[in-house]
Amino acid sequence: MTRALLALAALASVIVATSSQGAGAANGSIRGRVELRRPLAGIERRPGVADLGAQAARDLTDRLRSVVYLDTAPRGAFDQNEGGRAIMDQRNETFVPHVLAITTGTTVEFPNSDRIYHNVFSLSKPRTFDLGRYAVGRSKSVRFDRPGIVRVFCDIHSHMSAFILVFNHPFFDMTDGEGRYRIDNVPPGTYNVVAWNEGVASEPRAVTVPDGATTELDFSLR
Amino acid sequence: MGWSRRLTMAAVCSLCVSATAAAQGLPAEPVTLGAGRVTLGGTVTAAFACARLEENNSCGDDTGFFNYTDYEHSTLRMTRVAVNAAVRASRQFSFLAEIRSENGQAPQAYALYARVRPWPERAFDLQIGRVPPTFGAFARRAYASDNLVIGMPLAYQYLTSLRPDALPATVDELLRMRGRGWLSRFTLGDPTAAHGLPLASALRWDTGVQAHAAASWGDASLSVTNGSLGNPLVSDDNAGKQVAGRLALRPTVGLVVGVSATRAPYLTRALVRTIGRDGDGHRFTQTAWGTDVEYSRGYYLLRAEAVVSRWLLPTLAPRLRATALMLEGRYKLRPGLYASGRVDRLGFNRVAGDTLSDEWDAPVTRVEVATGYLLRRNLEFKVAVQRNVRDGGRVPRLTIGAAQLGFWF
Repeated sequence: MTRALLALAALASVIVATSSQGAGAANGSIRGRVELRRPLAGIERRPGVADLGAQAARDLTDRLRSVVYLDTAPRGAFDQNEGGRAIMDQRNETFVPHVLAITTGTTVEFPNSDRIYHNVFSLSKPRTFDLGRYAVGRSKSVRFDRPGIVRVFCDIHSHMSAFILVFNHPFFDMTDGEGRYRIDNVPPGTYNVVAWNEGVASEPRAVTVPDGATTELDFSLR
Repeated sequence: MGWSRRLTMAAVCSLCVSATAAAQGLPAEPVTLGAGRVTLGGTVTAAFACARLEENNSCGDDTGFFNYTDYEHSTLRMTRVAVNAAVRASRQFSFLAEIRSENGQAPQAYALYARVRPWPERAFDLQIGRVPPTFGAFARRAYASDNLVIGMPLAYQYLTSLRPDALPATVDELLRMRGRGWLSRFTLGDPTAAHGLPLASALRWDTGVQAHAAASWGDASLSVTNGSLGNPLVSDDNAGKQVAGRLALRPTVGLVVGVSATRAPYLTRALVRTIGRDGDGHRFTQTAWGTDVEYSRGYYLLRAEAVVSRWLLPTLAPRLRATALMLEGRYKLRPGLYASGRVDRLGFNRVAGDTLSDEWDAPVTRVEVATGYLLRRNLEFKVAVQRNVRDGGRVPRLTIGAAQLGFWF
């Protein structure tokens, strides 16, 4: 995770343009699949030794979704961020989605859809916040203005955790249930691409996107 | 600032830095094995305290034994390593355990029980073994991460002069032990000096069977165990079982109101035999009632708890009663940083002997303020100042500063 954080921070401060974008060139795509070669069980509750009875069943966290992003992005990509809105729900003692990838300037809503209190907070350097306790039907929001990886927790339920990956460019994608991703609208050029899952990032892999074509790039994360 | 304080602060700072560095490589979530059937968690806490000694204004130990749980252990000077585990054998059966080592002593089972859910779709559980306390609220959240300050409430820790294995022959003898619960001695029964009993023990769990049912509006628990509220046991040494019950209501989100009651014989069979009351042991009971309230919203959390305990002694006519009242709260100042405090009072009823008349033990008032900071999500540093005032004993007043570092996963 540290490596990915550093990569993102470097991305924020130094724009390394490896693009050979030319006037009139058609943008291309990068697509592929991320294979996870390590067991990823759902996050369990801490053993509730002091509980008077078993806790109610909850949803297990989907930890299989990965994020693939350009480690180096085209010059000018950082000027295009308008921000937007995203939602990270708190449902059945789980953050849904477990991983959220957004651009800087995005405001994330944290509605509480449970009948119990939650208390969303983060101590991550790109964005520290604590939304306090609020009940079902209410929502609070946080705007993310700095790129980096933000770990999100619930102060009441230690098994609730999530990731928000904040990019200052739009060249990233979340994998689907089968690990597939697709980054579109990439200007022709050579880039370093990284796959990330649950705090583990791959080595950056160089890929060249031809004019108007799609490039295949698969990852294997251990 | 004296050299000792500077040394202490330097030690605490270096401990925090090294702990933060060490925590980078430690697990942040429970360890799961066997496809999630086995879950392992852990807690490590280290607390250090410094009492202001008024005779020479220096830093020393808790000479008033305000925070001692027995003759050797202070809750403010304790290193604890705990590993807890849950093994899910099936939908109906699971086994839970917590093994603890305190101050480097041999590990002991703090909790060890089987949890049976006869009807998996219903929120009804039976717990058999060394089970969580039924009575009250604090005893189940005595972990450093749940405790708003560093010390424990008087009701769950402070040692009265009453012992399960020794008895005062007269009221005057009882009154001479006021404020000496950390090392009391009576003429009947075991003649050696030993620590007395708290109203309720949060440091040991009782052994027996516990039933628990939950609904959307609250939950209820009932248990039958070997010991008593102040003296939980693995092997029964008294004349009967403890029966304890608790009902907790949740009228609205964030509000919990609980009531508890318990009754148990508490004198050892050997003591009852010694005083010639063999067969009457079941009559000499500790009976307690408790109520607790918790309310939270936004950035604050408030808790209040009251415990009233009554003991019947075979050698004294008057019933002995103790009343504890605790109010505590926490407010989050910013992400990872909070301020908290607790006000605590423990009082006793008056008894009259031939030559003395007074409360049967020395009333205690405690105020503790603390601040906590999360160095990481599961690594917390707390500092606290605690003021104790007691109407009796060798040390009637004592101010103690304390620091605690806690890590859990």
